[in-house]
Amino acid sequence: MAKVFEIYIKTTPERLWEAITDTESRRRYSFGVGVASDWTPHSTYEATHAESGLAISTGENLEVDPPRRLVQSFTALWSDDVKSEGTSRVTWEIEPVGDSCRLLVIHDELNEDANAELYGGWPMILSGLKTLLETGESLTTPGSLRYSKGFDAQKV
Amino acid sequence: MDAVFKALSDPTRRGLLDELFRLDGQTLSELERGLPMTRFGVMKHLRVLEEAGLVTTRRRGREKLHFLNPVPIRLVHDRWVSKYAEPWAAGLSELKHDLEEE
Repeated sequence: MAKVFEIYIKTTPERLWEAITDTESRRRYSFGVGVASDWTPHSTYEATHAESGLAISTGENLEVDPPRRLVQSFTALWSDDVKSEGTSRVTWEIEPVGDSCRLLVIHDELNEDANAELYGGWPMILSGLKTLLETGESLTTPGSLRYSKGFDAQKV
Repeated sequence: MDAVFKALSDPTRRGLLDELFRLDGQTLSELERGLPMTRFGVMKHLRVLEEAGLVTTRRRGREKLHFLNPVPIRLVHDRWVSKYAEPWAAGLSELKHDLEEE
């Protein structure tokens, strides 16, 4: 199964790439989860909830082509339920359009009846990414606040 | 955002989004099968949804697959709900959800 998420953000491909791959920027719009890696092809990455230290996901950077394309394998770690889903794939595609960028996040190689927790967070993450790049602010909605308080509060 | 509201104002288009929510990544022919409508009519509605960003397409070989993109709805939510009605709306929609689950 595949899920596709698209958003337009008024920024440059370089700044967008930086916001996707910088641990601290990432933490600000991803429910407090930072992602650490050296971002070389075939390197690994670890996503960790900053406050609790809980491991959220891990995988390999299958393709790294800054500032246009990043393909990662994705293994969710935040609960036994999502761990049992195994490994899927996340592709980030950045395409400049005028003074903005079109960002596509394709989450595929999911099981046919995949747990919606695996991909359900993308709209909130991308909305927060847009706010961060366009205003420099963190987006504070009930959802983002709830998640940022800790991952054990994340029963949805 | 006008395009999103316009796209959502039509029951057939909301039906197409529901259909993609049920099964994502369908071709035009697959979508057409479930609707009492001509191929041209379905295409027209899909184009409005694509222009609003609510549907994105990907090619797989010769096929064009349609995906529900929920991001614009999230943006509308974050733009309006978080600004004006944040705690109340979250509380009420959770209450509605909880009651309807029972």
